[in-house]
Amino acid sequence: MTAMAGPAATGIDGARFDPSRTEGRGLADTLRSFKVAVLLGWKLEANWTDPFLFFIYSVAKPLSSALILVVMLEVIGGPAGKAFRPFVIVGSALWAFVLNGVAGLAWSVLEDRERYRVLKYVYVSPADFLTVLVGRGVARIGVGLAGVVITLMVGVIALGVPFDIGRVDWPMLVAVSALGLASIIGLGLLMAGVCIQTRQESWSYPEAFAGALFLVTGAVFPLVVLPAPVQIVGLLTPLTWWIAGTRQALFPGGPGSVGGPGSAFASTFGHPDPSAGEIVLALLVTGTVVTLAAVAVFRLSDRRAKRTGLYDRTTGS
Amino acid sequence: MPALAIEVRGVRRVYSSKKAPIVALDGIDLEVPTGEFFGLLGPNGAGKTTLIKILTTLLSPSSGTASVFGFDVEKDTKKIRRIMNMVAGGEQSGYGILSVREQLWMFTQFYGLAGAEGWRRVDELIEAVGLAEQRLQRVSTLSTGQRQKMNLARGLLNDPWILFLDEPTLGLDVAAARSLRELIVEWRAAVPGRTILLTTHYMAEADELCERIAIVDHGRILAIGSPDELKRRVQRESIFRIELDRLEGGAQALGRLPGVVSATAAAGNEADTDRQSVVMNLVLEDDGALGRVVGDLADRGSHILGLRKSEPTLEDVFVELVGRGFDEAGTDEPGPSAEAIA
Amino acid sequence: MAATMDLVGRAGAGPREAAAWSRRQVLMTNLRSIRGRAYPRVIGLVREPSWVLFEILLPFLGTSAFVFVYRALDAPPQYVGFVVLGGALTAFWLNVIWMMANQLYWEKSQGNLELYFAAPMHFMAILFGMAVGGMVMSSTRAATVLLIAGTVYGVAFSVDQWALLLGVFVLTLGALYGLGMVLASLFLVWGREAWHMGQMLTEPVYFVSGLNFPVARLGFVGALSVAVIPLATGLDAMRQLAFSDAAFPIGTPPPVVEVAILGAMTVISILGARWMLATMERRARRDGRLSVRWQ
Repeated sequence: MTAMAGPAATGIDGARFDPSRTEGRGLADTLRSFKVAVLLGWKLEANWTDPFLFFIYSVAKPLSSALILVVMLEVIGGPAGKAFRPFVIVGSALWAFVLNGVAGLAWSVLEDRERYRVLKYVYVSPADFLTVLVGRGVARIGVGLAGVVITLMVGVIALGVPFDIGRVDWPMLVAVSALGLASIIGLGLLMAGVCIQTRQESWSYPEAFAGALFLVTGAVFPLVVLPAPVQIVGLLTPLTWWIAGTRQALFPGGPGSVGGPGSAFASTFGHPDPSAGEIVLALLVTGTVVTLAAVAVFRLSDRRAKRTGLYDRTTGS
Repeated sequence: MPALAIEVRGVRRVYSSKKAPIVALDGIDLEVPTGEFFGLLGPNGAGKTTLIKILTTLLSPSSGTASVFGFDVEKDTKKIRRIMNMVAGGEQSGYGILSVREQLWMFTQFYGLAGAEGWRRVDELIEAVGLAEQRLQRVSTLSTGQRQKMNLARGLLNDPWILFLDEPTLGLDVAAARSLRELIVEWRAAVPGRTILLTTHYMAEADELCERIAIVDHGRILAIGSPDELKRRVQRESIFRIELDRLEGGAQALGRLPGVVSATAAAGNEADTDRQSVVMNLVLEDDGALGRVVGDLADRGSHILGLRKSEPTLEDVFVELVGRGFDEAGTDEPGPSAEAIA
Repeated sequence: MAATMDLVGRAGAGPREAAAWSRRQVLMTNLRSIRGRAYPRVIGLVREPSWVLFEILLPFLGTSAFVFVYRALDAPPQYVGFVVLGGALTAFWLNVIWMMANQLYWEKSQGNLELYFAAPMHFMAILFGMAVGGMVMSSTRAATVLLIAGTVYGVAFSVDQWALLLGVFVLTLGALYGLGMVLASLFLVWGREAWHMGQMLTEPVYFVSGLNFPVARLGFVGALSVAVIPLATGLDAMRQLAFSDAAFPIGTPPPVVEVAILGAMTVISILGARWMLATMERRARRDGRLSVRWQ
């Protein structure tokens, strides 16, 4: 280092080695990495200056999903269909968070590795890789928020979803949103761990995973119509409680998705429907377990990827 | 067999850019006889890759004409593609999920080889380029050198009559680059008429491989000739490095001899106090003056410990032609930032 | 080494003779290119078995969610069949969007595109190869979804015209993958926007194609979809043929007419793809974009 040229010679102002830089600054570094990742994800995905992109992500996709279900109800007709309409619109609107959080986070791995080929550089930067991915996931959820709000607005204004802002249970909404969105990020990490291992064509994997969760979380129909063992799987999934809690907070007194006469919940806990406290507690417990499991899977995947050199590789067929 | 493998007449290629149009090729004229190993030597951004893309039918010239074995690059693209192939340095093409053998076989299909014949050709080439141990390994796990050997094998699958090599040893270590160069030389030598166009900015590589070289800069060919011919262009005087056990009268005494342009102590010689010899650089009007110098040194009682003639390098040629060295010349090859000016 | 290089040598014929291919050579090269390009896709199925979980079982569960929506509504059993058939055909649509339409853009990013263009086969052969490989993948998924759903949900198909159903299926694949070929050229020109276009072509197209319900319920929009979106046409025709005992809302043409529409779509899209590719190659050579990544 003694022979190193000074700033004037190198053209880099103050380019001297500072050993303290290798120590890092702990939490401050993590927060900075997180902030940068959120901003990067937002800039990459939330190009609001492009009306076409805004239309696709915020209107066309979530609204189409909701409309498919609305038409399905209309096709069958009858009073059951009418009663179901707010139920399916809210569930499918909220699902935009799941698709953005789970699929978006996993896609950022594939996109950085296969398309931009920068994953290895992100990985070797001082920023914690997991923190960076979580930041990207948060940005994606931010993108999903617009879709959720617009779909709900269309539901309320045009499709007869009864909504009274004065009846919203705000503390519960805040609690289940925070816990639910954290769980979505956890599931996104799980899929990111999977996509690190798989080939380029695994774009559809995260969406397929989210699609499978659609079946067990009571998003668009009450869990009670499922066979009992599948209902149990649903009750162990944090998204089930997040959707149930959000529904209850936004539309108090409306039909629930978890309980009901003859449901697995009723036979397990002895009463037909969960209370607000039970929903939040169940979300906290299942969310924590799933998130910890997701981080463990991600770390395992990370270790294997390092061992087999997957970060610096493109695949494809 | 046609006399000319490549014929280029007045080719210009202009890319548009937000600031001002970028002239990648500025009226190139070039003839490469069939069977020749021809090199394009120039810094980054000189226009070498642009010319290769035009000749391999991937890019249209803005003006001018170019042909490969008499086939026009604009009109006879399919015919050219049947008899040529190309290999670029740092190439990452292919599908990571396939093994080396499968990847190469896939490409044999694009050149119309029957299934079994394709596998046979692939196995031969894998053996030839020294990838037998990696034949069943997935492409995504190959090292840079192995990958480039596989790329060379891919380039030879259709047994091309002309092979375009664009910086083929880029990023390879010394041993891998040497091995690749040997393969290329042997392949060309095996069948008369096989022609190679090599672009490189490694001067030693061009010097070693090419029968003729065009020195390119800013889209123009500055000089064409064999490496020796090009070097002779800058060698107007003879330069010798001579080592003596002692020298009475110093450098000035030698400098006064007829035919000697200058005599100076070699760099570092004065500073080396441990050295028991004297090293001089002699610049002579021609080789004939060397005899007089040797005779004079004998008269002075000096013993010659070593004598070496200094040859000019292709870099000297480049400096002479361009007025600057390779390192100062580098800019990236111009590429299309918006629409090209046709 | 030298001996090996001699082996692959071709003494005798000169370069001009070697460039003069017969029609048979051209045809065989194109057919072999189809095989060559399909190879990595088919072999990929064996190499990474994770697709069985992610491309068959999980999508099946996703499809099942809509089955339970109908069950919650006590819908007639044929409606469950509609959902299952829609789920099966979705496999082909997704394959067309992500592994056909987006593929050339990927090939360019990977550096394969310029090697394809520098090779002597017709580029349509590459697209056909991608389609064949994709069809193998998607057909496996579709067949599995139909089989599992038929078993688990007891879907009862009622087919009177098997030959017509098979014809509709084949023509639907032709029209779908023909559209994929057209989109592949378009997406290559659009570059990164292609990804967003792919997004646009999923849920919104599912909706207007009547993925889980008879498309006739959408009225004019449904009729328009049947006329221009192969997924909608094929799905409607196959539903009519596979559930001939179901009462259908009036509004869509009978299967025979839809066969004609699918046939026209196939021919137009393949010719369109051919024209688009030629135009795209000409433009790309003029603009120098065949080998520039990320544009």
